[in-house]
Amino acid sequence: MKTKLLIAMLLVSLTGMAQELFVFTEPASNMAAKSIGLRLNNFIMPETYTNKTNYNLVPEIMLGVSKKLMVHGDLFFSNRNKPFSAEGASVYAKYRFISNDEVQRHFRMAAYGRYSFNNGTIDQEEINLYGRNTGYEAGIIATQLLHKVALSSGLSFTKAMDNGGNHTFIYGKPDSKAINYTLSIGKLMLPKEYTDYKQTNVNLMVEFLNQLNLGSGKYYMDVAPSVQFIFNSVARVDISYRKELTSTLFRTAADGFFVRLEYNLFNAF
Amino acid sequence: MKTFIFLIAGLICMSASAQVSKVTIQASGLTCSMCSNSINKSLKTIDFVQNVNPNIQNSSFEITFKTGSAVDFDKLKKKVEDAGFTVASFTALVNFNNVQVKANQPIKVGDKTLYILNAKDLSLNGAKQIRVLDKGFVSGKEFKKNVLATAGGGNGTYNVTI
Repeated sequence: MKTKLLIAMLLVSLTGMAQELFVFTEPASNMAAKSIGLRLNNFIMPETYTNKTNYNLVPEIMLGVSKKLMVHGDLFFSNRNKPFSAEGASVYAKYRFISNDEVQRHFRMAAYGRYSFNNGTIDQEEINLYGRNTGYEAGIIATQLLHKVALSSGLSFTKAMDNGGNHTFIYGKPDSKAINYTLSIGKLMLPKEYTDYKQTNVNLMVEFLNQLNLGSGKYYMDVAPSVQFIFNSVARVDISYRKELTSTLFRTAADGFFVRLEYNLFNAF
Repeated sequence: MKTFIFLIAGLICMSASAQVSKVTIQASGLTCSMCSNSINKSLKTIDFVQNVNPNIQNSSFEITFKTGSAVDFDKLKKKVEDAGFTVASFTALVNFNNVQVKANQPIKVGDKTLYILNAKDLSLNGAKQIRVLDKGFVSGKEFKKNVLATAGGGNGTYNVTI
């Protein structure tokens, strides 16, 4: 009940007025054709059952292949199993298939797919293709921009496979499939009025990240509030805290900080 | 004598191609300055573009051109689309030199053929603003409402109002 109230309050306070450059989810919009984005994603997640803190570093490159297609490549490093080392990689592609644009508004839809592999141990029921599991994901995203506010929702199917290094998916085949569903809300707070590209932009976001296991019926629901700074209209810093609201899935490091540094190169190739 | 002919030829070429002095594009589908900047940088890669003056607040871009270059409307539109957005309004400042317009007859301006939808029997002189109404140059909503003289579009043929 408390949770519902909190969600409702957040929704009310945010609706009414940016943006869709979400932190934990991708919007249906793509980056510009022929541009390159470079990211350093940092997860600082204390383990629930030990005194250890997991540090995951994910360098990421994003390419705008065409106006409708973009691809990402990610490398996963962490100190989870052994001293800080490389554990896996991921490729992601997103295709925008609907785009209804109006001045300072749009409704867009996109489809995406991801394949990840990972050599780390499997120690939780949650399926996470961003640094924990080998597997694939396919999904759709719908995003609505309304001047300074953006709303986005995604639905995807995820399938975990055995990890590399003889680390099998120990929860069994029926529990290796899950549905992820997300709701993201973003609002442009500053500047109040745009005059040039050097103005620092401040966006506030809140994202709800959920997973439902199709075999066991277990689930988790997380909330992740974020603040985002955009500098010179090319560089971006995201600071976020991800918090579990409720969960019946066994997870080893659900809560923690996320910091992303991003730089965009337009017309790079 | 030869030089003289070259000069004349050069002048004719210039007057034929320098007819579009400015284009203003309003883009749709964006609010933030990073999105605006991606359009700004995309437009600046075009070889015939001299300068882009963005208005981030209105998502509009005032574009001027290098002297003597032919201005390709389709390329300007494509660069906005490559950045991930759509053209909502496209106006051009065109220098006319005593052009006679007759109802339903296209006129030739440099390398472009223009159907002026709201003009009947008038003579055009000096700089006039035209607005392009073809698909991709106005919002999808507006495109459905307008009745065009030719489905054409592309190949340098445009439906415009003045």
